[in-house]
Amino acid sequence: KQSKAYAKFAGAPLKVHKITNPWRSPTGILPALKTREEGSFSQPSKIIIQLRKQKYNADYDLSAKECADTLAFVSLLEEKLLPALIYTHWVDAKNYVDVTRRWYAENIPFPLNFLLPNRIHGRQLERLRLVRGDPTLEPGEQLEKELYHDALECMTLLSQRLGSQKFFFGDSPSSLDAYVFGHLAPLLKIKLPNGKLQQHLNSLDNLRQFCTNILVLYFPSESREAPAKKVSNHADGGDFDNEPHKRRNQILSVLFAVGAMLGYAFLSGIITIKHTPARLEEPHVDEEEEEED
Amino acid sequence: DSLLGEVLVVELNTAEPWPENATLYQPLREDQILLSDCASSLAVQAYLRMCGLPVRVCCRANAEYMSPSGKVPFIHVGNQVVSELGPIVQFTKAKGHSLSDGLDDVQRAEMKAYMELVNNMLLTAELYIQWCDDTTSSEITRPRYSSPYSWPLNHILAYQKQWEVRRKMNAIGWAGKTLEQVYEDVSQCCQALSQRLGTQPYFFNKQPTELDALVFGHLFTILTTRLTSDELSEKIKSYSNLLSFCRRIEQTYFEEMNGLIIIVQT
Repeated sequence: KQSKAYAKFAGAPLKVHKITNPWRSPTGILPALKTREEGSFSQPSKIIIQLRKQKYNADYDLSAKECADTLAFVSLLEEKLLPALIYTHWVDAKNYVDVTRRWYAENIPFPLNFLLPNRIHGRQLERLRLVRGDPTLEPGEQLEKELYHDALECMTLLSQRLGSQKFFFGDSPSSLDAYVFGHLAPLLKIKLPNGKLQQHLNSLDNLRQFCTNILVLYFPSESREAPAKKVSNHADGGDFDNEPHKRRNQILSVLFAVGAMLGYAFLSGIITIKHTPARLEEPHVDEEEEEED
Repeated sequence: DSLLGEVLVVELNTAEPWPENATLYQPLREDQILLSDCASSLAVQAYLRMCGLPVRVCCRANAEYMSPSGKVPFIHVGNQVVSELGPIVQFTKAKGHSLSDGLDDVQRAEMKAYMELVNNMLLTAELYIQWCDDTTSSEITRPRYSSPYSWPLNHILAYQKQWEVRRKMNAIGWAGKTLEQVYEDVSQCCQALSQRLGTQPYFFNKQPTELDALVFGHLFTILTTRLTSDELSEKIKSYSNLLSFCRRIEQTYFEEMNGLIIIVQT
């Protein structure tokens, strides 16, 4: 049942995308996974195609300069933030074992739950090696320091660009807001043992406020659960096993699985939301809750 | 370049002034250097000239291997060796020279974002065209890359490099692109740059910054390099403000090359 919700959630971004993976997955999760893998450093070009196709629909209020800025900041995110995000979820030993792999082991049907996480782990490490031109790279302090240095700088730059505005280009959201949110939200929501990136994000008040704002506006159910989640996590030390937390975790996993792709779901969402704010978002949320019962 | 290396550089060099014998190393200009390396080298040279820092350009066949990070260009200043534009900008900043001090926080964030755009799209496109397009690779890139070496080393080195670059392209999702798509990406990038530049003389109005140096390095090199087709330079030429931007920087900072919008490589 949950998988149907995920499929719907993940389905939207996939339709918008021209994804190269040929196979449809048995559960809704896998397309999201595959997208997460594919959704690597080639995003800007996909965004370009997307924005052009939509004739900047989400961005029709933006000036030419602001559209150009969007492309530039998307590149910045791709180059400086995304590698660190992938590292922190998939390569960092403690985070991968304690959180990511454990979640997949519990929520994906056998035998994929044993095969897939390790495969992704290996592939992401391989990718980091290729991109940084160092075949002997190992996950560890040095690599982490370099990746996180870039990511922290990127977050600070985003914070500086955002300033005291509500969204990146004024009072209404654009695709850049969706994109930034899509990258930062999992960081805020998923508690990791090695949480340096989270700490830094939390120290940037305006960015944190920006994410919470969007969460409250467009994902009211998630934001309602947030305070409860924090308490339970402290109590269990981040243990995801317990029954009462399962639904919360699954909602979080949705956020996680489509994290980088959220921009696309948003793109179609924002077009409608601009015209009829409350109404259109409701069915989206209700569907999810129904399915999970 | 490692973070540790950068920190060391900053600590050791704040006191020493820029020496007269600073040298920039790149591959051989006439026969060997490739589009992407030429663009990177020109960007660094433009940046240093904009800072008013003198540097000699030295061409070496093994420049790539001499470089600490394996990438060209690199500069040899005093007893320090620094490669690539980013670290070189940091290095000169430590010595008290900077082009972006006058920018506010928002502008600096934008500058860095646009520099990533150029690296992400223009540089990657250059690498793709050089190494992943079979025609260009066999007619231009491999012969040039291997020109200083004799058989069989020349073949081995060229194919090894090609394999390396293709693997990297695969990792970042560019391997599946067609040449047409890559040209389209370049066009989108140029459109963004053109829109950002508008009618200003430089990206941040009156004074050039490292972004201007980087954009100039890439655009000028593409305009003046002959490839298997003119399509790439035609994409840039369709944006007149980018053309005048290149001419302006060429005339201001590279007087001895005045009027050199002609073909410099075959």
